[in-house]
Parts: sequence; structure tokens; C-alpha cells
Amino acid sequence: MGQEHIIRSNTFRWALAVAGVFAVFVMVLFGFIYWQTDQYLIARSDKMIESQLNFIVGLPGEHRLDAIKEHLKQDSRGVQYAGLFSADGRKIAGNLERFPPGLQLDGSVRSISVERTLPAGSETHVIRAIARHMPNGDALVIGREVDEAREISHVVGQALALGLLPGLCLCLLAGAWLSMRAQKRVEEVNQRVQRIVAGDLHERLPHRDVDEPFSKLAAIVNGMLDEMEAMIHALAGVGNDIAHDLRTPLTRARLALERGRTNATTLEQLQMVVDRAIANIDQSLAIITGLLRLAEIENSRRTAAFGVVSLHEMLQEVRDIYEPIAENKDIDLQVGVQQHLSVRGDRDLLLEAVANLVDNAIKFTPEGGKVNIELLRGESETIVRVSDTGPGISEQEREAVLRRFYRSDKIRSTPGVGLGLNLVAAIVKLHGFRLVIHSGRGGRLEIICPDK
Amino acid sequence: MTKVLLIEDDSETAEEITAELADRGFEVEWSASGIEGLDKARSSRPDAMIVDRLLPGMDGLTVIEALRKEQVRTPVLVLSALGAVDDRVRGLRMGGDDYLTKPFALVELVARIEALLRRPVESRETTLRVGPLELDLIERTAKRGDRVIDLLPREFRLLEYMMQRSDRLLTRAMLLEEVWNYKFVPATNLVDVHMGRLRHKVDGPDESPMIHNVRGAGFILRTGL
Repeated sequence: MGQEHIIRSNTFRWALAVAGVFAVFVMVLFGFIYWQTDQYLIARSDKMIESQLNFIVGLPGEHRLDAIKEHLKQDSRGVQYAGLFSADGRKIAGNLERFPPGLQLDGSVRSISVERTLPAGSETHVIRAIARHMPNGDALVIGREVDEAREISHVVGQALALGLLPGLCLCLLAGAWLSMRAQKRVEEVNQRVQRIVAGDLHERLPHRDVDEPFSKLAAIVNGMLDEMEAMIHALAGVGNDIAHDLRTPLTRARLALERGRTNATTLEQLQMVVDRAIANIDQSLAIITGLLRLAEIENSRRTAAFGVVSLHEMLQEVRDIYEPIAENKDIDLQVGVQQHLSVRGDRDLLLEAVANLVDNAIKFTPEGGKVNIELLRGESETIVRVSDTGPGISEQEREAVLRRFYRSDKIRSTPGVGLGLNLVAAIVKLHGFRLVIHSGRGGRLEIICPDK
Repeated sequence: MTKVLLIEDDSETAEEITAELADRGFEVEWSASGIEGLDKARSSRPDAMIVDRLLPGMDGLTVIEALRKEQVRTPVLVLSALGAVDDRVRGLRMGGDDYLTKPFALVELVARIEALLRRPVESRETTLRVGPLELDLIERTAKRGDRVIDLLPREFRLLEYMMQRSDRLLTRAMLLEEVWNYKFVPATNLVDVHMGRLRHKVDGPDESPMIHNVRGAGFILRTGL
């Protein structure tokens, strides 16, 4: 539960951080809008006084005074300033008492401060003003209070600021909600994992079929768990298999020795007992060696020994090896090669795998039958096929055949430990190939090597 | 008498091996640790060595490596419970001449020691002659007396191997490793079947048999008729 608390405060802090960033961003944005609005309003005002100035300048002399008077009359809010001064600084018209000091007569708008006389007293205002020389030497000043523009900007700014607070709250709420949702998922996964760790291997992580990273991760972990579950079951199974199959020959050995000790009277009898014991012990050792080899292959990354394996040559070799054995059973052993093909792999292991298949085929085929080794191309894959005219593998047996120590009743009397096909499967898997066991009359097993 | 140095830490195993070798007429010296064994190897100069791989202190392979560095060419048979192919390869690469996995048959051990002690000399001869058998190594043909024997390549190789080690016991494991180059033991009695065929071709109906099956051990090609 304490753990949960930490998670919560972490996610909450995260939500706060996101909200903070959002707030900063919004404020920056609002600041920018405020500044732009301000600039725009001032620019507009400047444009207005500039055009006003140019308008008045363009008027003929007498009309100017009237225009100035009119201009000021229309100024209901008292934000306009105008002034016409003679060359020596005497005021001719307007509401400016004197030419604003510091104002350049260059026809560009400046910020200057002027004094304004009101009934209550005089005030100093900062205005935007523009001044120009007239053809007759007079100076014309047109100005406008900036405060007005400022006021508008203020209103805008205030409105935006008021909106910021609810926006911030919304962001915080959204952040909190999202993080709580994520936290809930993490919690769920956490619990599942704890159950899996405690031993409940069936559990899987929940994931919707959505293409989001969390679901993908869950899918990958589930895949891992599937493999682990299979491996653990296999291991448990192997333990049982080993127990049974090792104990049987060892028990036989022990029984033979025990009885022999008591009952054997002649040296010959004792030697027979000892022979039996040795045979059984050898059987146990063969099982152990077989299992160790299997483990070695299944768990190894022995791809260092990989090279190019010329399959047609290798299959010929297998045929040469088993030819006399096939002949003893009057079995016709043939190799059919469509084309010379090679794969990448461990030659010794691949030879062992094919040898195992051929060995089985010969074992299962009755006298006078046929065993065929074929090398052919499939669709972007190379296939090694071993087929025979024996009884084949039934649909039910197909599954069983790959269990360890499984020995079909048909060949129970022949020597062997029952790990042959397991070995083939392990070798095939190590190479990234596929082993296909066909059911039906006549055995047919294929090692399928996809093109890399 | 041929001197064999055995470096093995398990006393029971060592006792059995020593007894068997002594029965065969070897003089056996035993050491239970790597360092002591290395010392004895340097001082007593055995004709052959049997070295267990897993020893307390200095392990077997290190002992062999040290000897090889000192240019000691004594043939060494490595014993090991480690039976994986890579282990075998490593053992031979570190200077061992042969590798036997535990548990093993004493017969096997003896056969291999004898094989190590009397390794066939690399000869420039193009013909191999044992008794009435004659092998032309260039033409790859075989004759017994005047009778031509028709052999498949692998059968030729098998007969060549046996003729180079005539009158000596050759175990199935040795044959599988050297003639077939196998790193695994096939399920069926491969060697027996091939040997049966070879025997059939070499020992004709009226001829005295040269290829013998030693029950429970292996095969021998006997010259003495």
C-alpha cells in the first residue's frame, strides 16, 4: 500500500509538472498576444495621426486652421492633440501650448510627453506625436494619447488572464485523471506479475488489440511468459520421464545383482548376472548421455560452428553409411537429388539429424521395402525428405512421437533409447528450420530449411 | 616395461585402472593432483599418460599445456566426465592425443593406450601389406594374394585403418571416431554391419579368417595365420 502511495504522488507530481508547463506556455502565449495587440493598436493610432498630419499639410493654408479646429472639436474623449506653430515657436492653433520639446520635425511618430492644462490643473501625459515642417516654415504637430490604446490592451489582457485560471485548473484535472488512469493500468499489471511470480503461470498481462506501446509491451511479455510456461512444463515433464526411464534399467541391474549374489553358485552364473547388470547400467548411461546431448543442443548457441553445408554430398554420405544396414533387411535405399543445394549450418549435427531419420525409416520398414532420401526445393525453402514404405505414423502418434523416450510399440524390441526424434527436433530448431511429420500410410518426415 | 603415468583424483577409479593396466603388463605410476602429476611427468618420463581433466588445484588440461610448452611429446589420453563435443575438441586442442568420456569400459581404455603407444609410423609407402593382404594406396585397390577384392571407398578406408594397426584391438568407438569421423554414436550397430560386409569380402570361404570379432570389445585384424 505504501508502494501505491509513492506511485500516486509520483504521477500527481507529474500531472503538476505538466500543468505547470501548460501554464507557462499559456502565459507566454497570452503575453505574446498582449504585446501584439498593444503594438497593433499603437501602430493603428500612429497611422491615424500620420494620415491626419499629411491631410492637414496637404490642405491650402487657410483651411488648415479650420481643419485643426475641426479635428480637435471631434475629439470627444480628449485624446487628440494638435498644434500649429510658427517658425519662431509661437502657437498659431491647436491645443498644445508650445512645441513639444524633443519632438523631431522629421515626420515620424515619436513618444513624447506634453503638458495638458485642465480645469483641475495641468497634467503630464505621454503621447504619440508626429511633427512636420510646412512649406511656409510653420511646424505642425499631431498627437494622440497612447493610454487609450494601452487601455484596450489592458482589457484584453485582463480577459485573457481571467481565462487562464480556469484553463489551468482544467489542465490539472485532466493531468490528474490521465495519470490516475495510467497508474491504474500499472497497478493491474503489477498485481498480475506478482501472481505470476508467486507461481500462477497461466496469468497473462491484459492488453487490448490497440496499436499503442503499452499494449505492444504487454503482448511481448505475454509471449515471454508463454515460452517460460512451456519450458517449465517441459522441464517438469522431463524430470518425470528421466525418473522413470532411468530407474527402470537401474532397478533391473540392482535386482539382478541382488539375486545373483544369493543364488548364483557357479562362476558362469555370476558372470551372466554381472553381464546383465552392466548392460542395464549402460542403458542408463545412454539415457543420461542422450539427455545431456539434447540439453546441450537445445540450450546452446552453437552457431559458431556453422558453415556452408553441401546437402547433396551429405545425403550421399548418409546413404553410404546406411546402405549395408538397409541391405541386410533387403530394403532399397535411394537418394534423389533434384539440384545441388546448400544451407548454412553445422554439418555434423545435420548429418546426425538425417541419419536419425533414415535410421528410424529403416527400423520401421518391413523387409523388401523402400526408403527414399530426397533433396528438393519448395517455395523459397529447401526440403530434405525421408520417406518409407512402412506403416507410417498415425494421426494420434504424431504428437506422441516427439515426447521423450517415446518408443512406438512397433519397434520396442530394437535397441534404442527413444530420444532420436527429440534430437532431430532440437537440431532442426537450433538451425531455425522446421520438422514436419506427415501422418498416414508410409512414413514421411521433412526438414524444411527456409531461405534466409 | 612400458611406463604409464595416471593422474586421477578419485582413488577408487585410479585403483581399478591401475590394476587393469598392471594385468596387461604396464608399469603404472599414480598421482592424485595436477601439480604432483606434472612434477612426476617431468621427473620420471613415462611412455604414456592418462590425465583426468577435472583435478583439484591445477586441472588436467593445464598440466598437458605446460608439458607441451616444454616440448614433451609423450602421448596423452584425456579422461573426462565432460562429454560434449566442444569439450572433446578443447581437450585435443590443448595437447591431448585422445579423449575418453567417463564412464568408460576398461577394455576401451586399454585399447586406446595401446593405440597411442604404437601409433602407425607415417610411411611413404604406397602399398600396405599385412599377411596376404595388399592395399595400393594410390590406385585404391585391394588384393588378397591373387584375388582382387572389390571395396567401396569407406570399406577401403576401414581396411586401411585396420591394416595400419594390425594385431591390435580396435574398439567400435575408435572406429566410429577415426573411420567415420563421428561425433555421435548412431543408434544402430553401424560398425558391426559394415565390418560384417568387409569380413565377407576379405575372408573368403576357403581362406583363414583375418578379421576377428572380440566379444564385447571390438575387432582385430590378425596377421598370424
